[in-house]
Amino acid sequence: MDLFLQTLLNGLLIGGVIATFTIGFQLAFGVLHVIDFAVGGWVVLGGYLGYYMGVGLGVDGFLAIPVAFVLFGAIGYLIGPILYNVRNSRTARPELMALALTFGLFTLLRGGMLTAWGFNTHSVPTVLSGESLAVGPVTVPLIRVAAAVFAIAIAGGLFLFLYRTRYGLAIRATAENRQNAALMGVNIRRLSATVYGLYAGITAMAGVLMGAIFSVNPEVGLRYTLFAFFVAVLAGLGSVGGALVAALLLGVIEAFVATYIGSSYSLLAIFGTLFLVLLVSPHGILRHGL
Amino acid sequence: MFTNSKRFSRRRFLGVSAGAFAAGPLGPFVRAARAQVTTFKAGVITSLSGENILGGNLTKRGYDLWAEAINAKGGVEVAGERFKVDMFYGDDQSNPATGADAAERLIVQNEVDVLFGPYTSGSTIAVQPICQKYQVPMISGSAESPNVWKAKPEFNFGIIPAVDTTAGKSLAVLAKLSNPMAKTIAVIGVNEPFSKETGEGFRDGAKEAGLEVVAYELVPASGDLTPVISKIAALNPDIVAVGGHEEPLINVVKTSKSLNFRPKALIMHYGVTDPAFAQALTADADGTCGVSVWLPSVPYKDDLFGTAKEFAEMAQKKSGHEPDYTEAACAASGLVFGDAVKRLGKKPALTPEDRVALKDAIAATDIQTFYGPIKFEKEGIHYHDNVQPVPVLIQIQGGKTVAVGPKEAAAADLTYPLPAWK
Repeated sequence: MDLFLQTLLNGLLIGGVIATFTIGFQLAFGVLHVIDFAVGGWVVLGGYLGYYMGVGLGVDGFLAIPVAFVLFGAIGYLIGPILYNVRNSRTARPELMALALTFGLFTLLRGGMLTAWGFNTHSVPTVLSGESLAVGPVTVPLIRVAAAVFAIAIAGGLFLFLYRTRYGLAIRATAENRQNAALMGVNIRRLSATVYGLYAGITAMAGVLMGAIFSVNPEVGLRYTLFAFFVAVLAGLGSVGGALVAALLLGVIEAFVATYIGSSYSLLAIFGTLFLVLLVSPHGILRHGL
Repeated sequence: MFTNSKRFSRRRFLGVSAGAFAAGPLGPFVRAARAQVTTFKAGVITSLSGENILGGNLTKRGYDLWAEAINAKGGVEVAGERFKVDMFYGDDQSNPATGADAAERLIVQNEVDVLFGPYTSGSTIAVQPICQKYQVPMISGSAESPNVWKAKPEFNFGIIPAVDTTAGKSLAVLAKLSNPMAKTIAVIGVNEPFSKETGEGFRDGAKEAGLEVVAYELVPASGDLTPVISKIAALNPDIVAVGGHEEPLINVVKTSKSLNFRPKALIMHYGVTDPAFAQALTADADGTCGVSVWLPSVPYKDDLFGTAKEFAEMAQKKSGHEPDYTEAACAASGLVFGDAVKRLGKKPALTPEDRVALKDAIAATDIQTFYGPIKFEKEGIHYHDNVQPVPVLIQIQGGKTVAVGPKEAAAADLTYPLPAWK
């Protein structure tokens, strides 16, 4: 029973961790209609920022979270219009061109980090790193709790932003029908820049946490890109709330399979779940977008 | 559209045919020009990008150290003359199939005389058929999986003993040194060629050392380690042994600490000896044991690098890091080539027949180097592997790697049992 409870907690917490970098990805897809392969790149950049602030400046890694949002949010805001132009160009298959652009951006980020910071693996030092709390028979890793709380807070914050503000209304309108939103006076180009900036900032913040929980080097980005994509497909592309539910589901499945069947079957179980959901409910588990 | 395509294809075909026809007579001159070169060409295939980039660059540094050292002396000596070495590089992108392509490019386009092998065992196995096809010898300064040698690769030679000969022996040393004596062990292996076989080496070695294996888990390289560490923590083994590369090893320590689980001993194989491991984990790295077949303190020397300590100082000066056994073995790979080509007595560029003879000369290697003795097995499951070096059990103490066993090689006492996490 102790192991069962520990496994359930492990699953929910890793689900929360995965959700942190998937939520922004969903938002970007919902509005820009682009599958952003660069998501892993933003995660790793956030991790490096946390590492250099923690080790270089000697401050707690958590202080890098707001810095990551401002810095990479601004960079994302500048990149957003480029992506918008490519996605809405009159070339054949603009959606594939946009996909290629994000793939190129990811490669550029990966190569740039490799050149700038080398290939060694680093950790982000935080006040919660390695700390745990014993609750009855269960050990609660506090850094993962922080990541799960972060994911819930971001999902909740985005929900309020999207459903309780006029700008959020414009974003949802654009996600639903770009032409109608433009006819209603929404500046789609500027809105796309804002959304991409928001996404890059949120994802880089998640990266600081990833660097604290796991470790960071230029090559781990691809793993985050793939996981974000799996969760997004399971949730239904563009569904922010679904991302949280799907990430928790995958986390729990992975934890139980790894503990009770064998770790070597955990990825098989994840892919199997993905396959089944696509078969039964191709629009994702929540069956709706933004 | 179709017509244009067809017209273009025809034009292109005629152009290429004309070019080939014109270039045909130049072929012998190109070969003649190659025949007049005064340098040996060595190709390095390793992971310069992808998930094994750290180890890939480590191997490259080792091979380059030899090239720089030998070129500083005027080059490789053949029949009283010296010939410098030109290095060519192929990136396997941490992908075995890409490694095979890179090897083919180095052989066909760069016309290398010898290859220096990849960081990973998976890529090494993928490159072996290319070496066989083009009859080019490859000296591997890194691959440690026993599967690399089981197929009896005719043109491939390994400097580091296969992990099945080292992991179990080191575990036996750890069990013998533990006080109170360890009784149980859990083994984790990352599910990839080298790491999985390291896990198997630990598992089989544990049985021979009289330890009860309470868990044997294979984990995906990209998976979360929390479930498996929780499961093992519930079994509370005395020793946890891990087979993997750098990043999973770092994550095992971080995850164990986050779950407040610390076994009496934690032993890993490759990665612990790399200074980057201790740098990434800072104080949490302390107490982790590893296996090494070379340390700067070993009592070996040769004419090019001097003593093991002098080699370590040279490497440290060059890269800013203390070299580990893989970097040392890669540098020693060059010594094997230099010795073999000297005995062969053939000047560059080597003909296809010379390369086959070079392979036989390498197979007959019996030398002493700063790395230790090098002599390749001539039969059995470790065919063409150098199983001469004796593994040393190391432990990170105060951020430094120190030898703790066997007793004759120990520079410090083993810290056992490990204290609880601070």
